[in-house]
Amino acid sequence: MDFQKLSAREIAAGVKAGKFTAVEAARDAIERIKKYDKKYNSIVTLCEERAMAEAEAIDAAVARGEETGPLAGVPYAVKDNFCTQAIETTCGSKMLKGWLPPYDATAVKNMKEAGAVLVGKANMDEFAMGSTTESSVFGPTLNPRDTGRVPGGSSGGSAAAVAAGFVPIALGSDTGGSVRQPAAFCGVQGMKPSYGQISRYGIVAYASSLDQVGGLTKNIADMALVMEALAKPDDNDTTCDAYERPSFTAAVSGASLAGKKIAVLTGYDRDSIDKPLVEAADRAVEICRAAGAEIIEASLPVTMEHTVACYYMVALGDASSKLACYDGMRYGHHEDGKNLSEMYKRSRMEGFGEEVRRRILVGTCILTRGYYENYFVPATKVRQLISNEFKELFKKADALICPIVPALAYKRGLVEEDPVRMYLGDVFTTMANLAGLPSVSINLGFTPEGLPTCVQMLAPRFGDAELLSCAAVIENAAGAPEPVTEKEGC
Amino acid sequence: MSRNVVIGLEIHLQLKTKTKLFCGCSTDYIGATPNTNVCPICLAVPGSLPVINDHAVDLAVKMGLGLHCDIKDKTRFHRKHYFYADLPKAYQITQYEHAIAQGGYLDIVADGKEKRVHLDHLHLEEDAGKLVHPTSDGRLSGAAYSLVDYNRGGMPLSEIVSMPDMNSPAEAIAYITQIRQLARYLEVSDGEMESGSLRVDVNVSLSNADGSLGTRVELKNINSLKSIERALEYEIARQNRVLDEGGQLVQETRLWDDAAGVTRSMRSKEGARDYRYYAEMDLAPIDAKPDYVEKIRAAMPEMPWDKRARFTEQYGISFEESQQLTEQRETADYFEALVASGAPAVKAANWMRMEVQRILRDAGMEITDFPVAAKELGSLIAKVESRDLSNTQAKDVLGAMYDGGLSLDAALKKCGAAGGRLTAEALCAVISKIFAEQPGAVETIKNGADKKGAKQKFLQGLVMRETRGSADPTEVAKTLAEMLAK
Repeated sequence: MDFQKLSAREIAAGVKAGKFTAVEAARDAIERIKKYDKKYNSIVTLCEERAMAEAEAIDAAVARGEETGPLAGVPYAVKDNFCTQAIETTCGSKMLKGWLPPYDATAVKNMKEAGAVLVGKANMDEFAMGSTTESSVFGPTLNPRDTGRVPGGSSGGSAAAVAAGFVPIALGSDTGGSVRQPAAFCGVQGMKPSYGQISRYGIVAYASSLDQVGGLTKNIADMALVMEALAKPDDNDTTCDAYERPSFTAAVSGASLAGKKIAVLTGYDRDSIDKPLVEAADRAVEICRAAGAEIIEASLPVTMEHTVACYYMVALGDASSKLACYDGMRYGHHEDGKNLSEMYKRSRMEGFGEEVRRRILVGTCILTRGYYENYFVPATKVRQLISNEFKELFKKADALICPIVPALAYKRGLVEEDPVRMYLGDVFTTMANLAGLPSVSINLGFTPEGLPTCVQMLAPRFGDAELLSCAAVIENAAGAPEPVTEKEGC
Repeated sequence: MSRNVVIGLEIHLQLKTKTKLFCGCSTDYIGATPNTNVCPICLAVPGSLPVINDHAVDLAVKMGLGLHCDIKDKTRFHRKHYFYADLPKAYQITQYEHAIAQGGYLDIVADGKEKRVHLDHLHLEEDAGKLVHPTSDGRLSGAAYSLVDYNRGGMPLSEIVSMPDMNSPAEAIAYITQIRQLARYLEVSDGEMESGSLRVDVNVSLSNADGSLGTRVELKNINSLKSIERALEYEIARQNRVLDEGGQLVQETRLWDDAAGVTRSMRSKEGARDYRYYAEMDLAPIDAKPDYVEKIRAAMPEMPWDKRARFTEQYGISFEESQQLTEQRETADYFEALVASGAPAVKAANWMRMEVQRILRDAGMEITDFPVAAKELGSLIAKVESRDLSNTQAKDVLGAMYDGGLSLDAALKKCGAAGGRLTAEALCAVISKIFAEQPGAVETIKNGADKKGAKQKFLQGLVMRETRGSADPTEVAKTLAEMLAK
């Protein structure tokens, strides 16, 4: 069986029908990772033992004729900032190297309940801070579409694992585009649901009010399956909303744009964006129009001007607070010191990499008296204005289309020299996090050089099912991206 | 030069919940093995998130209502950052700008005068862990290393911040005592200073001649009411002395050294921390809707001061008696049960304050553990009222009921007082017997030589002893006089 060619839905159907076993699917994924991932470095920890146990349990349930979950026997990977019981969880950092969490993240629990089989932990930018997956303590991940380029970040390992065809599904976390941007760079589908849609319990925090679990899949139908498995209220996360979720899979299967109003973002500098990406956005608009949607133009002046600055104020302030618990005392990297203060300084200096230290320092500064009033407080006000701008927009439109990234996948090492340029690359992704909105990155094919092109769609908060429905229409017209096919070892 | 003393207090009350403020760990940590009442949440393990303990919110609202505060419907938490080993997240989750209870006041009585102390607010926060220094005196200085016990980390606290309305150590003490009493009445906290469930930080300053506030000094680390009084007296004297000598006070935090009886500088205003307060985004805001607050208000017991006023009014007892009887809710309940069982209120109050208190004090016992039921004690007092028993006898009987765990009837039998009140004939017989035994004394009295009445008192005592207290002293005196006059 060529599992690499199968979607999550097809694998689950095959396992349930007895065409192959969950153990075979998991074994295949693990073997291919062992064989081919040297080239990409997308998976940093294989969970072989756990995967086999989970897969055997699924096979036993199928054999007993029991109802198995919608993702029965589907191998998947999670970003290494999801807590996995007794399996090393590092956040790509020396700070947490060797740490074995005492519990599973709620998302991991929910995936297990749906029948999915965890095969590996995916590489990431250290503490989810970065856009290239080059800052990991495990070394960089390479883009399977072009190994001279980065996979994007910070969920670059998750995106690469799906693009390489190791797993049909991977989970990531999205604080300012960390799922959608690598999806765009690697040519897979990526979604960040509404804030409050999925429990954050067990996801090592970057910024509490922005972080959300996201999915990376081969196609939108699989994305609906993943969202349905994950989007549930959770008593362990009070920010996870208790509302009753609609059926995401039903929304996708009946996808139609007839009578829908789709807004197209205007008022940004098209020339500053790589041409294939502008063309991809235009093509997506044409697909929507052809599918019967009414297209309207909309501008988001406050958002487009301030989203990146606002995002970094909010995210870094929060990060400095959430990352303060790494003091070398109870877990994580420890260095001795003459006194408590020196112990802290040395543990944090040695444990955190450069980008993380930079963000903690800036964030600490932002929350310090004086700067707080002059920078942080205005940023929270701007955040409200951005939210309001979207509220107004979604009174007139069901969804918004715009580019997801301003550039095709970066060449490796390029951004290291100029972090500010890396930050500015987040202009189209951060607004969804600031406003708590759902957003998907949809692949629109590849450039002649084989680099993925893509478009972004956003919808009102908790309009996730509707959003997936619209995305399915575009995907139906453009075709879901095929993963890279590995023929020989490396 | 005379200066006015201005005192403001911050009281930390540990709330009586079964689990911690943001996780399911047990709050029963006294004596527990270090670091056993802990979980990923209270240890700040990566990925863990706090979840508010609703019961702690109930208790804070209850205390706020008791203190006449305004309960805010939309409140939220902040993170208060500082790096220290006792704080696993490196921030404390506390309420900052949006405390759950605002304003309010508490009426106190100090030096016989009533006074209203206004409050700034009451807020909820989590406690920090505890550092253990392996030195002989338990102090940090000289310790090669320190150990941390996180069992206390995350315990629910409510902090009550007063306005600087108190003007003497006595008022401060009265305020703390009144807060503690209220907390116990409402079953919000044990309010015990020894175990740390009530902790006090004191702000003290001397106001200038023109009435403007002087430099404020904060005193920390004070563990008993006595120490607070001493610390305040010391600090007021110190500040007066500095000002008298033409010196300047600095705004600072000082620690009270109980052994040396002095305060010592800990940190000055310049060294004050910037806590970088920041909204706690991991917790949804608390929504204390009016009907929720009303439900809590409706379930509140009678306030101690209301009870105190009612007791003086309803039972005709003095303010001091009423204060003693209402100090603990359970004592007041016992007293009311006593009255309900038929004992006259004034007598019941006397019995409570004298006999019952004495037994409890000697046994080091709380009223809740007192084994004699109010109804039984009520019946005993009724026997004294009907003169079936003398006071002395009744005290013996109560002693037997307490010591031997006896019922009233059994105790009466044991004390030989079961027969009830001494009849007039029996009394005459006893007196005749004493006369026969003491012919000399009788002679002296009849001769009119007992000018000071000493011999008559001596005979009366013998009669009382013979009757083992079952005779009424007034009746004995009367009968004795009648028989001597014959």
